[in-house]
Amino acid sequence: MNLLTRKLIAKELYLYRWLLVGVTGAGLASLLTASSGEFGFNIGFLVWLTAIIALGVMLALFGVSSERKERSLLFILSLPLSPGDYVRAKLLGLLACFLLPWAALSAGAVGLVLVMPGIADGLLPYTVLLCVFLLMNFAVVLCAVLHVSSEAGMGGVIVLTNMSVSLFMMGIGRIPELGAHMGKPDAVWNTPFWLLLAAELAITLIALALPLVFAARRRDFL
Amino acid sequence: MHSSLFISQTDARPMYLQIVEQIRQRVAAGDWAPGLELPSIRALAADLRVSVITVKRAYLDLEAEGVIVTRHGKGSFVADAQGLAMDMRLAQLDAHLTAAGEIARSLAMPEPELIARLRNALNTEEPSE
Amino acid sequence: MSAKAIEMNGVRKAFRFFTLEDVSLDLEHGQIMGLVGPNGAGKSTTIRLLMGLLTADAGSIRLLGHDMPRHQAAAKADVGFVSDDMRLLPQATLAWHMDFVASVYPGWDAAYAAKLLKRFGLHAGQAAKSLSTGEQAKALLLLALARRPRLLVLDEPTSGLDPVARHELLTEFMDVLRDDSRSILFSSHNTLDVERISDRITFIDRGRVVASNNKEDFLERWRTLRLRLPDGVPDWRLPEIVHRDVDGPNVTLTVDGFSDDFLARLGAPVQEVHRMSLEEVFVATVMHSREARPS
Repeated sequence: MNLLTRKLIAKELYLYRWLLVGVTGAGLASLLTASSGEFGFNIGFLVWLTAIIALGVMLALFGVSSERKERSLLFILSLPLSPGDYVRAKLLGLLACFLLPWAALSAGAVGLVLVMPGIADGLLPYTVLLCVFLLMNFAVVLCAVLHVSSEAGMGGVIVLTNMSVSLFMMGIGRIPELGAHMGKPDAVWNTPFWLLLAAELAITLIALALPLVFAARRRDFL
Repeated sequence: MHSSLFISQTDARPMYLQIVEQIRQRVAAGDWAPGLELPSIRALAADLRVSVITVKRAYLDLEAEGVIVTRHGKGSFVADAQGLAMDMRLAQLDAHLTAAGEIARSLAMPEPELIARLRNALNTEEPSE
Repeated sequence: MSAKAIEMNGVRKAFRFFTLEDVSLDLEHGQIMGLVGPNGAGKSTTIRLLMGLLTADAGSIRLLGHDMPRHQAAAKADVGFVSDDMRLLPQATLAWHMDFVASVYPGWDAAYAAKLLKRFGLHAGQAAKSLSTGEQAKALLLLALARRPRLLVLDEPTSGLDPVARHELLTEFMDVLRDDSRSILFSSHNTLDVERISDRITFIDRGRVVASNNKEDFLERWRTLRLRLPDGVPDWRLPEIVHRDVDGPNVTLTVDGFSDDFLARLGAPVQEVHRMSLEEVFVATVMHSREARPS
């Protein structure tokens, strides 16, 4: 990775530092709330979920499309890089921005499930799948935003992925091999779990790879 | 030294001509002594905020008039006084004659008439020192 | 060192409602070229093609000897590009931008940057989003100039600047040219500035290069002639006459290619001969080219 790419990634982290700190703070606070009884759990879970989804959306919107709109894209493109370098640096930079709070909040959620006696450990597979699903969600939104330039298109992608989170959460519990064990005191890591996890990771990797193939090869960048 | 030159875009005369005239004046007045090195074309262009090509043209004209000499690789210098005074006076004469010719042309005056007028002017002129 | 700073040859780029056709232009090292054209003529498109931000459909582009857009990363290391629609990153300060650029380009001259900061009246601690349009423009130019690049490519650098800032900027441009290995290409509506500092001038209209020449050649070749012809206008078939205006016996001719020989072929007595400003030459050239190509 060359110096300029590293600097551009550092730039993303610098520019969004307050967003990252804020989301991490809100997420950790929500986990604390979730540890205080059933009502607290519901509120905390909702805030935790919203924080991660909102982080992804804001990074995608401000990180890519408003840069385009704000004409600061031209400034970046005046640097000694190719449009492909720009896409790569953007992808890695925003991914880094998302990963830091996401890792903290996911670890926090897993920790909460393990530590709290009131929360069955059987929820662990579900928690892991949900966390990875949110990562996958972000990867898909990021991929879309790097390819699509119309605001309507981007709005559509964001709405769809948010809907998919709700559908995911409802659907996972319906899968018999997974739903059956959620309330149990011990975590069960069975085949359907591994398959789903693999599918989520595969989609994530594909979504992150696509911009490197398509967006990076665009001949007209403006 | 050269920052005293002044180029005006609102002046009707082209910029290269303004440079030529101002340098010529300074040389004639003795402000720029013979042998003095002129600023390089680029340096003068930057100081006057005009294009290099304009200064280049001015220097070429000044060299053609004998006001300056350019030594390849060394720079341009004010020409020595001797040839200078003579060349400058001749250049001035030619300029006046050219102007007279243009006026005559615009009046569609035939050549013999112009020459007759010149002779007239010579006869009535005060004898110079 | 490569042969020329900029070489564009037969470049073509088609858009839905506009096509840039057969654009060729050259810039030698140590020269400054002014690109002049009406709005929508294709100046910005030409500059973006030059910088590798667009890919041409046909033709070749070399920037400091590098093929564009293929080797644009290498080319841009030596080029300072500023466009009037460019903006700084709104959330960062000017100081951040200066540090960023300084860390990316080894040629950064911190002392010069500090001098420009003062001269342009900018404050490093200000956030980019709080800068006015003029201040943004000055900041971007500072970032480009302080790197001391070999080539400056500027798209309308003085639009949005007050006269004092423009004066300072032109001084900096000419300062760049003290070094005969450095060059500038700039597009501008301000024909007065272009006329003053350009060595070469290219006129663009409706996607085509209409003329490209040394400035002094343009200014020497074009004249307006006033004649009085009470007996009517002769049947001149002189290609130098680009435009004629007849008001009774008063005739005004716009001429491209003025010379004593032309006057002789004209054969008629001329009342006045006027030089033309670059703006007048530009308008006459464009009008003439539009008549010749009515599309």
